[in-house]
Amino acid sequence: MSGRLAGERFREVVLPHLPDALSLARWLTGNAHDAEDVVQEACLKAHAGIGTYAGGNARAWLLTIVRHAAYTWLAKNRPRNLVAVGGLSDLDELAPQPDAANTPEAALLEKADANALQVAIAALPLAFREVVVLRDVNGLGYREIAQMLDVPIGTVMSRLARGRGTLILELGKGQ
Amino acid sequence: MKPDDKLPENPEGLRLLLQALVDGELDAAAVLEIERRLAGDPALAAEHARIAAVSGAVRRLPRPEVSEAFRARIAAIGEEVTAAPQPATRHVTAPQVSPFDWRAMAASIMIAAVLASGGTWWAMRPVPTNFADAVADAHRRGLLAASPVDVASSDRHTVKPWLDGRIGVSPPAVDLAAEGFKLIGGRVEVVDDVPLPALVYRYNEHLITLVAAPRGSKAGTGTPARADLSAGGFSVVHWSDDAFSYWAVSDAERHVLDDFGNRFRKATAKE
Repeated sequence: MSGRLAGERFREVVLPHLPDALSLARWLTGNAHDAEDVVQEACLKAHAGIGTYAGGNARAWLLTIVRHAAYTWLAKNRPRNLVAVGGLSDLDELAPQPDAANTPEAALLEKADANALQVAIAALPLAFREVVVLRDVNGLGYREIAQMLDVPIGTVMSRLARGRGTLILELGKGQ
Repeated sequence: MKPDDKLPENPEGLRLLLQALVDGELDAAAVLEIERRLAGDPALAAEHARIAAVSGAVRRLPRPEVSEAFRARIAAIGEEVTAAPQPATRHVTAPQVSPFDWRAMAASIMIAAVLASGGTWWAMRPVPTNFADAVADAHRRGLLAASPVDVASSDRHTVKPWLDGRIGVSPPAVDLAAEGFKLIGGRVEVVDDVPLPALVYRYNEHLITLVAAPRGSKAGTGTPARADLSAGGFSVVHWSDDAFSYWAVSDAERHVLDDFGNRFRKATAKE
């Protein structure tokens, strides 16, 4: 692909999805400044590899690259945050079991304070956090997330359920 | 009591199904079954409402702003091959751009050498012999075409992105309407086989075509220093700044074009 064509493709495929890329990177790295570094790194990779984009969901394609860049960044700068990813079975014990006694009403959740919600998301184990963000912030479907994470759809569904379940309980505590 | 549907019995399976309902991942048949169940099961309905509420709350969280500076930094990644770097983004793209600059420099050294040895000029022909003529031809074609512009808009915020999207480079589309020069649109001009952004302004009944060649591209390099250019009956004015080499062509009087050039320069210097 010629440089000019690659540049055009880059602008079409990448630039419209910068807000999504920054959102994902922000939730994975934990702050806006590091998110910019990660997204810039990802965009350099996206530009170099624009020839491998074979059509389809451009957002999912870019976010896959952003996720890789974020994990590389985490491994280098926050290696401790990555530890949990190795043994996901341990996480099952962390996941709260729904308990009718202390689950908040939906109406309370709807009015939840944005700050409290952000703190709760940030506190989620990475494996749950990324699925929640990819689904509700980036708006990807189960199948796209499964492809991106290279896991079965069932795994995506259960991680999403656990992530959301934890958020529900955390928000209920604050009420 | 066992409901007569094919929904899973275990609570975990049901919860995943509720969630898939919230996420719009169920087919119509499954939606129908689970909605029927929801209608008769308040506890399940409350769980469904909770999942929907938390999903909605996450969805509504404020998104991080994409700052102009950051967007420009990223856009520069795609432009490094197709356009001269903007000064503001140079620090980001410098490693990729340096060989490019080097070639441009080598080219200009060569041009100087060629000019010095006048006899070999025609043999080498390294640059368009008369860029001003080519630009004037482009202007004439614009006048003859059904519309002098490909994108008709007096809004600079429309014209510039359009040019960016088409050829990946756009000059500052300054608005000089208050000074009598109304931006009416832009088009892509191909001069010496190089697609270049062109802005079109109207001054009374005259059209002014402003072709902008990125500095460092082959188009418009090695142009003569003389300021007074005219070609094919049109006035041509030429000037440069850090980013672009500009060629303004019009059938308007020469002093009008000079005035336009001065105002455009003043306006871009302010940006």
